[in-house]
Amino acid sequence: MKGLLTTPLRVDPTAFAGDKVAFFRYGAVGERVLISNDTGEWAMLSPQQFDAFYQGKLEEADPLTVELGEKGFLRASLDLESMSAKIRRKKAFLRSGGPHLHVVVATLRCNQACRYCHASRTDMDRVDTDMTLDTAKAVVDFAFQSPSSILNFEFQGGEPTANFEVIRFFIGYAKEKNRYENKELIFSMVTNMTLMTEEKMNFLLDEGVMLCTSLDGPKDLHDYNRGLTGSKVGTYDQVDHWVNRINAEYVRRGMDPNLYHVDALMTTTRASLGRGREIVDEYVRRGCRSIHLRPLNPFGFAVNTWKQIGYTMEEFLNFYRDAADYILELNLQGVQIQERMASIFLTRLLTPDDPNYTDCRSPVGSGTATLAYSFDGSIYTCDEGRMLGHMGNDFFKLGDVRGSAWKDVAHHPTVKAVALASINDALPACSNCVYKPSCGIQPLHNFMFDGDLFGQRPRSRKCQEFFGEQSWIFQRLAADTDGRIERIFRRWTIQRPRTTSSSSEGSA
Amino acid sequence: MSMEPVIGERRVHFVVSEELYPLDVIQGASYLFIDRCYVWLDRPADKQVQVVLRSKGQAGAEELEALAGEFANELLNQALRKNIGDTNAKIREFVMARAFFAADMPSTVDRLLAELDAEEMAVDPLEISVPWDHKAGGRPPAGSTDG
Repeated sequence: MKGLLTTPLRVDPTAFAGDKVAFFRYGAVGERVLISNDTGEWAMLSPQQFDAFYQGKLEEADPLTVELGEKGFLRASLDLESMSAKIRRKKAFLRSGGPHLHVVVATLRCNQACRYCHASRTDMDRVDTDMTLDTAKAVVDFAFQSPSSILNFEFQGGEPTANFEVIRFFIGYAKEKNRYENKELIFSMVTNMTLMTEEKMNFLLDEGVMLCTSLDGPKDLHDYNRGLTGSKVGTYDQVDHWVNRINAEYVRRGMDPNLYHVDALMTTTRASLGRGREIVDEYVRRGCRSIHLRPLNPFGFAVNTWKQIGYTMEEFLNFYRDAADYILELNLQGVQIQERMASIFLTRLLTPDDPNYTDCRSPVGSGTATLAYSFDGSIYTCDEGRMLGHMGNDFFKLGDVRGSAWKDVAHHPTVKAVALASINDALPACSNCVYKPSCGIQPLHNFMFDGDLFGQRPRSRKCQEFFGEQSWIFQRLAADTDGRIERIFRRWTIQRPRTTSSSSEGSA
Repeated sequence: MSMEPVIGERRVHFVVSEELYPLDVIQGASYLFIDRCYVWLDRPADKQVQVVLRSKGQAGAEELEALAGEFANELLNQALRKNIGDTNAKIREFVMARAFFAADMPSTVDRLLAELDAEEMAVDPLEISVPWDHKAGGRPPAGSTDG
């Protein structure tokens, strides 16, 4: 009976030197004690150093005094203006204007029946679940009302290429409209590749649409998770063919393959457990520089198949640590690949900025940084909220592109409630958690598991997941005697920007 | 009453003095145990809080005693966290207010650089020593905001 969030440290609250020590949070990382503060600064101390620190007994000449002073842990050297500036920079996303990520469900139809399908798909003959051209136009018109200077349209489904006519129209109309709006437009698509053709590929690449597919690992694992409807035939071979074909086409067009390639996402099922290294190898073999080791979401069909494909969070974290350690081993051998979730936490921990990953943020980006549009024009806070809507619960629905005014959606009570429920400075357990500055909340997960947006941290799977992943980072840093791991982690925080122009960066 | 734990079937209870630990410290510690236990709080007497921890699974006497011990240690940690928070509350409110609600201000470094630039300008009416990046428009003019 070990607790996740209890503190395995012996402390003496009566010895706290409030006149010398500034605000900090703390927690144990193996034999070390991690401290962090509101600006996102952190330090790892020995238990003896920690005692001396909070009891105000650090010697002035101790190098640790200088380090902790510079990081804002000691009252004598507090620079309040600098602290405010650091926080303002970390939270710069709050001033970005409005939703920039617009998830567009072109259709619910899909020719696959994945065991964990998050999207609550319909069969291929259900053309009534296609977005119409009129709805697509209304979505574009609505999204352009966002004050954000960037609009990122992400096409999802179902399988979006099943309704390609709408994709063509959507992109053309958005680009035409943007001649007068002058926003930065980004298009991306999550596709299973099974309905891809040369013509569709050329259109998508011509229009600068970034492509992402699902790849769960080696062929047998991928095919087990992701089969075609009505048969047990897997889709690995088609994914393999089109990823190679599209990547080759990028190269043929003179684009840097390090920046321009098909991205891939994996979902961990029970069948993935114990196979993390093989999954990583599959990604490395394809030249992928990033892999997001994602646990199952309790949405869509996964709710019904949980007993078959689900697992405990402890099982997932064992899988995560094993795969992430392997990724580090590969990095030490010169192979460039990062774990995506770790890179998000590391960007917050090792740089002055926040990567603005809307799914793990405080406050979360649902409704304030993202909106999702279902095929019928319904507007939701985020794609997961839309999925929940397809399961019959419209709690996260904000309106409709035809009937709702922008300000009514932007100021919708649900948007405010979701934001309030995800400010981790003000949530029990989060507010004192040492990982608070680098962590985020997903109220929708709380809603799914606990039936309310706020949830209870010690029982939250997302809390266990994020806590476990950040613990892995700090455990590796604590054991990093020669700085090699920190150098790798710093590399994971560097993101080279893509441009929509083709070959100007060449192949560096 | 003492804090000595009393062990029963799948449950352990003990009394915490509010003179030693404020109620929010007791509640804060209790919250962290809800993944493993059902937690009841009661007030058997003035300034006393009874904590009942009932294990969600099977638990022997040794485990239950350890659970109570862990709770006692967590009380100390929660008390320290409360001290840290209370002592620094005003400073944190000031810093947060400045970060989010004050008009964007140049940082200390920007302000010092601006002062140095102003001094240079004062003795250099021909602007010969204007930094190249000002001429190139690379750096904002002194006194501009960062927002």
